[in-house]
Amino acid sequence: MSPGFLRHFLLICQFELTRLFFTRKGLLYLITFTFVWCFILFYPLRYTADILAQEKNVAAGGSLLDFMGWGSLLHWHIPTLAVYWHFALIIFPILTIFTSADQTCSDRERGTLRFLGLRASRNVLFFGRFAGTMLSHALLVVITLLSTVAVTVYQDATLFASAFNSAAAIMVNLLIVLLPFTAMMAVLSTTVKSARQATIWAILIWSFLAGIISLLSVYLPALGHLEVLIPGYQMATLSQLSQWQAIQLAYIPLLQSVVLLSLGCWIMHRKKL
Amino acid sequence: MSTPIIQCHHLSYSYTGKAALSDVSFTLFAGELVGLVGPNGAGKTTLLGLLSGFLPAPSGTLVLFGHQPGAAALSGKVSALPQDAKLDPAFTIGEQFRFYARLQGLTAKQSTTEAIRVLDAVSLVDSFKQKPDTLSHGMAKRVAIAQALIGSPELILLDEPTAGLDPVNTRNIRSIITELSPTTTFIISSHDLTELDRLCQKILLLENGLMSTPQLNAAGHNTLTRFITLQMEPSPVADVIEKFQQLKGVIQVSSPQKNEYIVQYNPDIEAKMDQQVLGCIVDNAWQYRQLSQGKTLEEKLFFNGNE
Repeated sequence: MSPGFLRHFLLICQFELTRLFFTRKGLLYLITFTFVWCFILFYPLRYTADILAQEKNVAAGGSLLDFMGWGSLLHWHIPTLAVYWHFALIIFPILTIFTSADQTCSDRERGTLRFLGLRASRNVLFFGRFAGTMLSHALLVVITLLSTVAVTVYQDATLFASAFNSAAAIMVNLLIVLLPFTAMMAVLSTTVKSARQATIWAILIWSFLAGIISLLSVYLPALGHLEVLIPGYQMATLSQLSQWQAIQLAYIPLLQSVVLLSLGCWIMHRKKL
Repeated sequence: MSTPIIQCHHLSYSYTGKAALSDVSFTLFAGELVGLVGPNGAGKTTLLGLLSGFLPAPSGTLVLFGHQPGAAALSGKVSALPQDAKLDPAFTIGEQFRFYARLQGLTAKQSTTEAIRVLDAVSLVDSFKQKPDTLSHGMAKRVAIAQALIGSPELILLDEPTAGLDPVNTRNIRSIITELSPTTTFIISSHDLTELDRLCQKILLLENGLMSTPQLNAAGHNTLTRFITLQMEPSPVADVIEKFQQLKGVIQVSSPQKNEYIVQYNPDIEAKMDQQVLGCIVDNAWQYRQLSQGKTLEEKLFFNGNE
């Protein structure tokens, strides 16, 4: 990696963060996100955590959550973070699909990528935009986690150390989970003309790929392993694991990300700017 | 002239099977001011796109300053005005120019100074804090030209730089090019042949994806015959041709378009043909608008071959 690559990479990441915090569109997104998050934090998250705390006193196997298949929530030390983990595994990947869809497509259509392409290589543009988008996700994850920890500690200050440990585990695992989703959107962004097209394609690919693989595996069970190609394939298993246990499955999203980013980079080199 | 800065050999490029460039070869040296001309769809924008690295690698050899187009080593060395490219509407022009300057290696402080300098060069320094979508077409074009001037690029590729600009700004852009041309190499694609005739020392002609390099001789010196191009006020065509034809040393007189005449003559017989022609105009009480030595670029390139 040349010093020029690193310098350009950091500049592009920084510019992507500016897009989130200092542009009208980015600020609108942040304000909407904050309102939605406050609602989730103070209503569903807090009340579900209260229910969870009551369920912990029920004998093992006899809980309503065990009956619903959510018994893994009881393995967490802090109920609020247990609920956060389950919420986050649904909300953040969906949010990622929508917010990461425009990594390069509208800039290519507008011709802005040409101005950038004169000053930075295609590799650095692709990876810089991807990393910048991931950094934006990371910031939102950290903010939501800190607010959840704050609510937890406010209720019971003795949970401070334990809450930070759980929050760190959630942050690392959640960011690993989001990697292939962001990479998938980076790939789609290199091929389509708008963010809307990228989002539609993402939904189509996820539903069709899952459907086709399920259908084929009926006739040839070995093909069922192809499900590993779908970002989020491990999510059902992941939700059953608590805190640092979830890292066991990190290899799946990491491998998916490597494959998707390599594909995206390959496409980026073959497309006109 | 020293080492060539652009070496292009047997370059071909096609869009989904349709050839845009076929076996194009040329070499350019530092400091040259080159015009790229040709009809619509001839491949001019494709060639500039390949040189800028906007298009994926073609077949053939294309090397700029010893590197493939789009290489990181060319950042800040090669600059371009891409056709119809727009800045990001989410950021102000100043923010984007500063970012481009930073990518070219300037510090944060230098990048602000540089952004103001290039905007000032196109008389748009007031647009520093404006968003690109608030600009008119002509202003957006000037801003796009300004981004091509950031830093000290050694090669600037301009695709239709003056199309859509008013005469004052066209003149301004022309003077910027002339001012930079001793140290910066320019390739200018344009349909304005008068503009290119004024600016360029060398012309690359593209037709149907094929390139030729006409040997232009601005005034027609060092040749057996010379030309005078004359723009007249409305006058009797047959009479004008007949009278000019009678002048000593005239080989041929033609009228390629309304009120325009080209006088081909032998300088060994009559060296001061311009004076003879003017005398003839006065004697016949005709009016003329412009008299110039040689043929226009349009005539040289597209009619009657070279001199």
